[in-house]
Amino acid sequence: MHFAVKFFIWGNETDANVSCCSRGAVTVGLPPAWVDVSEEIATNVQRARTKMAELARAHAKALMPSFGDGKEDQHAIESLTQEITNILKRSEKRLQQLSAAGPSEDSNVRKNVQRSLATDLQNLSMELRKKQSTYLKRLRQQKEGQDGVDLEMNLNGGRSRMEDDDLDDMVFNEHQMAKLKKSEAFTVEREREIQQVVESVNELAQIMKDLSVLVIDQGTIVDRIDYNIQNVATTVDEGLKQLQK
Amino acid sequence: MVLVTAARDYINRMLQDISGMKVLILDSQTVSAVSVVYSQSELLQKEVFLVELVDSIYKSKESMSHLKAVYFLRPSSENIQHLRRQLANPRFGEYHLFFSNMLKDTQIHILADSDEQEVVQQVQEFYADFVAVEPYHFTLNIPSNHLYMLPAVVDPSSLQHFCDRVVDGIAAVFLALKRRPVIRYQRTSDIAKRIAQETAKLMYQQESGLFDFRRTEISPLLLILDRRDDPVTPLLNQWTYQAMVHELIGIQDNKVDLRSIGDFPKDQQEVVLSSEQDTFFKANMYENFGDIGMNIKRMVDEFQQVAKSNQSIQTIEDMARFVENYPEYKKMHGNVSKHVTLVTEMSKMVEERKLMLVSETEQELACNGGQGAAFEAVTNLLNNENVSDIDRLRLVMLYALRYEKDSPVQLMQLFNKLASRSAKYKPGLVQFLLKQAGVDKRTGDLYGNRDFMNIARNMARGLKGVENVYTQHQPLLFQTMESIIKGRLRDVDYPFLGNHFQQGRFLKDLEEAQRTAKSSSNII
Repeated sequence: MHFAVKFFIWGNETDANVSCCSRGAVTVGLPPAWVDVSEEIATNVQRARTKMAELARAHAKALMPSFGDGKEDQHAIESLTQEITNILKRSEKRLQQLSAAGPSEDSNVRKNVQRSLATDLQNLSMELRKKQSTYLKRLRQQKEGQDGVDLEMNLNGGRSRMEDDDLDDMVFNEHQMAKLKKSEAFTVEREREIQQVVESVNELAQIMKDLSVLVIDQGTIVDRIDYNIQNVATTVDEGLKQLQK
Repeated sequence: MVLVTAARDYINRMLQDISGMKVLILDSQTVSAVSVVYSQSELLQKEVFLVELVDSIYKSKESMSHLKAVYFLRPSSENIQHLRRQLANPRFGEYHLFFSNMLKDTQIHILADSDEQEVVQQVQEFYADFVAVEPYHFTLNIPSNHLYMLPAVVDPSSLQHFCDRVVDGIAAVFLALKRRPVIRYQRTSDIAKRIAQETAKLMYQQESGLFDFRRTEISPLLLILDRRDDPVTPLLNQWTYQAMVHELIGIQDNKVDLRSIGDFPKDQQEVVLSSEQDTFFKANMYENFGDIGMNIKRMVDEFQQVAKSNQSIQTIEDMARFVENYPEYKKMHGNVSKHVTLVTEMSKMVEERKLMLVSETEQELACNGGQGAAFEAVTNLLNNENVSDIDRLRLVMLYALRYEKDSPVQLMQLFNKLASRSAKYKPGLVQFLLKQAGVDKRTGDLYGNRDFMNIARNMARGLKGVENVYTQHQPLLFQTMESIIKGRLRDVDYPFLGNHFQQGRFLKDLEEAQRTAKSSSNII
């Protein structure tokens, strides 16, 4: 798109040595120490994104039919999920360190950097959640299809309906015994999976709760530039008054 | 041709090629222009981590050389002075200067001279010198707006500033849209004529190169109207959502400040009403009060469903879903609260001030009714304890505008009654209104009784029966627009500005048609 704009180049007209486009040295100074923290978090965000892509691939692989028992795939998924969750947890804790004491211009910059990173972390947390729930849904569809057993995931621990039955009085034939053994092992495995998901969801919920304080609610007054300027003005004023005391 | 998009694109251009942490510096006017089209979270995405006003930058002496400064200012002499001082003692690493309107050569020289440390990287003009409250609606937020009502001799220099600001704003709009319009103005208004002439001079003479855009088949029309030609519309109580909020509480730059009407929790004291960001508002901003009530109820019901399902967390899937949907839920909750609060407060005001009663009479005064009945109705309302001072004043004004020439005795009685009942009434205000906007001053056929076509139209409407007695009134502007579309806007009332400013085939046809019409008899 072209806009009706006028673009100016000014030269130093009094200085004959300088040609028309003297832009001068770009002196962007050294940033304050806290910027290291924000850069560290930004790097972590990047790492988390890469791992998330890996996780997506691991999910896809686990859902494909295979000859093995799938334990390897399971392991990969678990460890990736754990890694990402840890990165998010650590980053969120580091984020708190960006909070600055005392009102000043610098503290406003810090607050804004903090808010920006909080939004990135929150988006990542939600993405992780979505990937997990999609994977589990597909997984359940698959396994249900296989055994025709309805496994309900309950917060109080998963139990297959079969375990609740009184097994002692029943008589099984060999075929039934084999199937039962397979289901038991299967159920233990499922319980572990569920437990892991529960933990992960808990952790994520905590992270999101902490982040929600920092993230800006879009479309509300706090997302208005003029509102934020107002607050900056008052806090800097108050800060100066404090300093002058 | 959308103003919000044009303004946003300018801001995107300012920020796009500057990497790293930035500070955005605005003045008291550009902050409004930016705030209505760009959000704080969008700025953060572009790594703008600080926003300041140009005149409060001095308060801090911290050197922030790790930040690059992006200035977006009006090219006023005040701002140039601020920049001079700030460039002499630069606090930031780089300086990128953007102006919302055309710079004068002298101003450029001043800036160049001040840049001794050579920190300025670029200077550009991006014409977002208006506040785009909606895609097709902008304002200039001019303080001391009342100046246009006074004769030029009262305060010529202030009036010149006023005209300059209006012309600048109009120029920026057309530069942003990349069009050059045909200009017409309301004949009976000196100020309209003056603004039209100064705009024409700018666009067709002084800066004709800058405005020389690709010509289209139909040129856009810039029509300068004087508010005083329709003093009735702004005096009426309103019943559609956006208009009502603005009338009863007040909307400024798409923000509503509720603190003036009561005590509210911190997150509901100021709210945003923007059709671009709030889909409920976009769908309801022109709906009637009654319909809004129903739509809000529906929205609340929907929300309660969601809230209920969030409370029954039994399975791990429920919890997971809650975590996933929490941001959406939070946003929905905030939005529902906002609209419920607004409608509740306005309902209270309607009830306390008996606005339905008042509005019924207002509509009669604006649309139909006879003088006798009108006088009686207004008198009764003046006697009614519940009616507020401002509504009393408006009723007498509306009566005076309609019946200024009928029964002067009764008019006088109303003036006296108003003065005696309203302690705060400034005596003579209604008479002043008549001097400004009385029948002798108006061009348009405000009550549809000058022009036989309008009389016929009004009769037809009356017979058809009005759907909603509170929204009968149609602003004069509606008829003006219809006339324009039909090519029937009278040249004698709304003259063009000079032959050589006319462009395009449409206008030539218009001229021809008019010439033909004049030679036939009695065709308007």
